[in-house]
Amino acid sequence: MASIPDDIFFASIAEINQKLKAKEFSVVELTKAFCDRLERLGPRYNALALSLREPALRAAKNVDGDIKRERYRSPLQGIPFGAKDLLAYEKHPTTWGARPYAGQVFDYNATVLNKLTKIGGILTGKLAMVELAGGPSYRYASASLTGPGLNPWDRTRWSGGSSSGSGIAVAAGLVTFALGSETSGSILTPSSFCGITGLRPTYGLVSRYGAMALSWTLDKIGPMCRSAEDCGLVLHEIAGSDAEDPASAGKSFYFAPAFARNLKDIKIGFATVDFDEWAEPAARPDFAKALETIRSLGVQVTEAKLPDYPYGPVIGTIISAEAAAIFEPLIQSGRVNELADQKQIAGLKAGLEIPAKDYLKAMRIRSLIQKAFRDLLADIDVLVAPSRLTPAPKITQALDRPASDRPAPKERGLTGLIPAGNLAGLPALSLPCGFADGMPMSIQLVGRPFSENMLLSVGKAFQERTEWHKRRPPI
Amino acid sequence: MKKLTRREIAVSISASAVLLAQPLPTNPDEELKAAKDLVQQNLQQLAKFPLPMSTEPASHFKA
Repeated sequence: MASIPDDIFFASIAEINQKLKAKEFSVVELTKAFCDRLERLGPRYNALALSLREPALRAAKNVDGDIKRERYRSPLQGIPFGAKDLLAYEKHPTTWGARPYAGQVFDYNATVLNKLTKIGGILTGKLAMVELAGGPSYRYASASLTGPGLNPWDRTRWSGGSSSGSGIAVAAGLVTFALGSETSGSILTPSSFCGITGLRPTYGLVSRYGAMALSWTLDKIGPMCRSAEDCGLVLHEIAGSDAEDPASAGKSFYFAPAFARNLKDIKIGFATVDFDEWAEPAARPDFAKALETIRSLGVQVTEAKLPDYPYGPVIGTIISAEAAAIFEPLIQSGRVNELADQKQIAGLKAGLEIPAKDYLKAMRIRSLIQKAFRDLLADIDVLVAPSRLTPAPKITQALDRPASDRPAPKERGLTGLIPAGNLAGLPALSLPCGFADGMPMSIQLVGRPFSENMLLSVGKAFQERTEWHKRRPPI
Repeated sequence: MKKLTRREIAVSISASAVLLAQPLPTNPDEELKAAKDLVQQNLQQLAKFPLPMSTEPASHFKA
């Protein structure tokens, strides 16, 4: 039996695929090694919701048979991955990270899981998450059935949420890639805090069928990986039309960075104030280097500013109203009080009192926001900003309190790009770009709807010139 | 479209700025009141934003 070298736990999809084809080890051997690691280290970081060792090994045996017969289906064939525990996996618990749903079992699979398992991806585990994907809001990292997500770079710090287990598992080499979801920041935040590469796809590009709904008009599912290249390979497989998802855009995605526009033809917008004043002082040197690297790609660079809209109140109202409508049975039953976070409980209850006219006002302002972004992105191809302005907070820190007492700069710059980009349904790619206080920091690239190949080509070029995405935490 | 003032932008960026100065709620009743206050603050921000009658709610996303 071949032994699995430690480097494999941090290898890219292409590297593992090559070794499987070369028969350096079998898919069963690889799967066993990843399951052992996930079961051993996952609980240490509160990252594991459920090990799927048995079905994973059965699937691995089948894929070994395919590889033996040289029946190759995808670069993801035989690759171990994890899924946020808001995705239904038939006959196994899907808890949504929340005590009231701890015993919930579906009799069908989420579309994305069907797509990945059909081409030979090996689902090794369900990964922990913030309860109900964060609901309207939450105060503490401990807002989860499995406890606070502990950051592999420093277990006294938070992993970020709500795709906490997905961020941890990729960063700690417990899976090769993971699926997360984002309503407003739940892929980008853990990707940034854990130092991995995360892609939030355009709204409607990836089916949400079988995923917990938090906000019908905002929810997206996307890959969390080691590199932009891996994100492209995963998105290639999970994107596409789905009649089961009413929001499906009916579009496919073919990962083809080589055919994206020439970098020198791409215009990138950024705001100096984001990097020089809004960002944590300790992060500014690496952010400055990241901007220099972006410039060195040969792209055109210009100053940009977010259109003036009340993004926070708009997205807060939409998420609160939709989440309260979705979870009304939970709230009315009283079982909402079983949730771990008092702020989340109160937020869900308060959302029931939002009048229809105010929800619609938020959605009407959202129309103007979408138009404003169409105008902004008519001239600029990609916006660049810090993914998060600060490194991961301590797990005991109240998340609705400021990380520092620095006064806010006078100019907005692109601050607020996470809620703004989500309201406009735009894709975003988070790329590790350095460290502050020993913790990873990242930049985000945001583009027009369905411009994922452009973001990935810029991200891939950035990662060909940097090594941040290859750094490993001290496990 | 109404142009926001710098003060309004600062408020919208740090929407929780007012809450930040307040102590954390210590019991479920205080927590619920704080959540309802936050909802009202958001709605007040939206109310200040003038909209043409012709503006329809966002319902789909164009490439």
